[in-house]
Amino acid sequence: MKRTFYTRLILVLLLGSHVSAQAQDDKKISFTGAARSLFYADKLTQDTSAIDTVTIPKLNSGHVLVDLGINIRPNKNTEILAMVRLRNDYGGFWGSGVTFDLRQMYVKGVIGGIVKYQLGDFNYRMTRYTMWNYDQEVISNAPLAFQQQTDLVNYDHFYNSDHSWRQQGASLGFALQFSRFVQELQVNAVTTRVKTSDFGLTPDRLFSGINLQLVQSKYLEAGFNYVNLYDVPGTSKNASGFQNPVYTGTLQARYETKNWEAKLDAEFGNSKTRFKNDTLAPDWKDKFMDGSATISQNQTGLHVTVNAKIVGSAFRSPGAQTKRIDYNGLPQAYQRITSNQDLRQLTMLDLMRESSFYNLQFHPYLMDFAPRYDNITPYGDATPNRQGMTIKLKYAKKSIPVTAEFAHSQLQEVRGEGTLMPRKFNRNTFTLDAKLNEFFKGWKKQIHLTLNYRDDKTNREGEDLVKAVDLKTNCLSAGLEIEVLKSFDLLFGIQQLSYKGFDYTAVRNTYSEIFNFSEYRVDGNETLQAIGARYRFSEKTFLSAQLNQFQSKNALSSLPDYSIKQFMLLFQMKF
Amino acid sequence: MKYSLLFSAIISLVVFSGCKTDDEFDGPSLNDLYGKFSIVEPLSASVYDVDFGTGQTTFFKASFSKNIAWKLNITGLESGAKKEITGFSNVLDATNATWNGTITKLPLFRIEDCAVELTFDTETDTLRDTLHVASARINEGFLLSDFEDGVNPGWQSFAQSGASMSFAVQTSDSAAQGAKYFDMGGVVDWDWLLGYLYLPASAYGATTYPLSANPDEVFFNSMIYKSESLSNGILLFQFTEDDNGDGTFTSANEDMYSIQVTLSENGWSQLSVKYSDLATLVNGSPATPAGNGVHEPNKLSQVNVLFLKNPSSGYAHTRLDYLIFTQGAPLVP
Repeated sequence: MKRTFYTRLILVLLLGSHVSAQAQDDKKISFTGAARSLFYADKLTQDTSAIDTVTIPKLNSGHVLVDLGINIRPNKNTEILAMVRLRNDYGGFWGSGVTFDLRQMYVKGVIGGIVKYQLGDFNYRMTRYTMWNYDQEVISNAPLAFQQQTDLVNYDHFYNSDHSWRQQGASLGFALQFSRFVQELQVNAVTTRVKTSDFGLTPDRLFSGINLQLVQSKYLEAGFNYVNLYDVPGTSKNASGFQNPVYTGTLQARYETKNWEAKLDAEFGNSKTRFKNDTLAPDWKDKFMDGSATISQNQTGLHVTVNAKIVGSAFRSPGAQTKRIDYNGLPQAYQRITSNQDLRQLTMLDLMRESSFYNLQFHPYLMDFAPRYDNITPYGDATPNRQGMTIKLKYAKKSIPVTAEFAHSQLQEVRGEGTLMPRKFNRNTFTLDAKLNEFFKGWKKQIHLTLNYRDDKTNREGEDLVKAVDLKTNCLSAGLEIEVLKSFDLLFGIQQLSYKGFDYTAVRNTYSEIFNFSEYRVDGNETLQAIGARYRFSEKTFLSAQLNQFQSKNALSSLPDYSIKQFMLLFQMKF
Repeated sequence: MKYSLLFSAIISLVVFSGCKTDDEFDGPSLNDLYGKFSIVEPLSASVYDVDFGTGQTTFFKASFSKNIAWKLNITGLESGAKKEITGFSNVLDATNATWNGTITKLPLFRIEDCAVELTFDTETDTLRDTLHVASARINEGFLLSDFEDGVNPGWQSFAQSGASMSFAVQTSDSAAQGAKYFDMGGVVDWDWLLGYLYLPASAYGATTYPLSANPDEVFFNSMIYKSESLSNGILLFQFTEDDNGDGTFTSANEDMYSIQVTLSENGWSQLSVKYSDLATLVNGSPATPAGNGVHEPNKLSQVNVLFLKNPSSGYAHTRLDYLIFTQGAPLVP
């Protein structure tokens, strides 16, 4: 009998790790969620001879909140979740300051045992050039003492370690298994609503994506991805409409022996950006290629990765280039300082703990960024107008409780900005993670050391009155966690960021076209120090108390140097 | 440190030798925005004795160290006519600085010397030159009159016997075109009408004006003048059609289209109106056409120019020059 090409249709992989696995217990109703209590006491000190009689130097703030989710499983193929958030700001008695919000709601399940679907709210991720939520700058690799506060911001905005975006819409997935040549074909599709029509000039905006992943064997995989952020015609009185389709292909190959492992990972594709019926708008298309090769030697624990990439200057992928941070925001704490009540610039401290800068929606344009924090990859790997190589050397061995990585990147612009000469970018990073207690025999209590160093340089030669570009950013952070009593840790952390130099920053119009340049000059540093203690009630519950000191020095700012001392008390529980 | 530098040098060599950059750049030129400005080639003209009447043109040449917003002003030293050409570039040449004798502001250029001045938005430098207009530009169209030869004997004219009356051709340097214009003014306190000029087609040797039948292609143009302190004058242009082709206009059953112009802009200004935009007016208000209601410029038998004013408004004054029909577009003087 002639065998059919595919033998059976089964569900294999649907939304991957970015959708939590369906609970295995048989309860029809269960509760899930989190609770926290957070208190900040801040004190501002300004290094100025002019006494500030306007700004209140001490600020207390905080809240207690509960995210309460009800999980309902009416049958074995369906799961419904509704989660509400109850929040009460400290000082808000008798209903004042209390908010009650629906945090998330979804229905998910399996149709006919084959197609998995999810409707409502979900987190979704595709590839690094199609749909990827890159970490925020500077603070994402901070020591644990600071990470506790950043984790709250990330949790509130559904930023997960898998770099998925929180979306609202529908997704589905299924897989086909084959008996010959190819093991499996995974099919995933998603459509989400990014913006709603106001029935005036703002149309409905949707984001749709398709991923086809062909698993040939454990040695070879290939994928096709299509995403598009687009306005739906007819949903507003605006005749013009935005469209940004991105097509990419991926290839993963791996080969391993007893002592060696080799991996190839590549993605390539193109984008088109159109504003239909808008005669003033540009019509852009561009391409990218990104390939990495890694060779690992298991005996020595050495891993060498070489990456080469080129991303065109007009490559646009809103799903991958939208930033977490909206740099047009203003800090809530001490927004204006000095007697003149000058606006305070956003700092590392604000990025660590304030929610108001963070963004949840895809933007059709390139968002503003802060060159002093990251001038090289402000939009992650998908940053347009970059080409060059990165070499990574990594040491990681199961038997040794230390991992270390050094990476060196040399990039330059594909197309100059305002001149034919491209800017050149140079980055060195070093990370070290050591569980020191494992070096001492019999010492079971944890001693965890982390080190991070980043050194960025941007250069371009000058000509005539066009100044040379020379911008440097250094970021050094170190963290130490010592478990002095069972489940009781002392936490230490320091992060120092310095930036100095000059660049021309592009001023873009609503289509992201550069129409002007502004001179950007910085000379400053920011330091964040922490000492604290944490008691772990369980893996998911802890109480933490910290003293933080933040210092900002900026030689070119009209603001004086200042420091903010912060006491933080945090109780957090997940259930 | 030594090894680090060596490592960086090797990587740089490998990476940047393989990187290719585009031969164009994004955004405006930084050199234009921040670079030093200097004159590379001074201002000059391709023709210094330019004969616009034969269709000759001249273009200006200059070049600078960077792209910049520039303005070229040409001023007639006798007429005061002005032509302005603007651009953003680092070079002036035939593509962006050609002058064909047209104006930006009335009056028209005549045979005269002209001063040329090149200025820049963001720089204090000014470049100057002079040239000579050997003959003025000739505009295509059917010219009713530029008053250079006085009043056409085939016209009919009438002026009230009011006070300070003027209803005649005047010679002056301040004419919109050439050296003469028709001057109208006076005080009439018993009637709206100060006077009129009737310009029948017969004055040009035909029963109707030699115009296209398509009213969307025919434009009537005239240069009119408002004295600075007087705004009470009204010019009424009437266009009578011989709908039935009997050689006479009968107001009861033939079309008369009009345009009424209230003088508002001081000095000379240009009136241009498409024939199909002319309306039937009775005492200044829209009315139903008396004839077939079809705009037929090929049946135009007479053009009337009436100068009106409110009888109680005192002295009124205007000037009239260069009445011309053009085909396809308004007059570009």
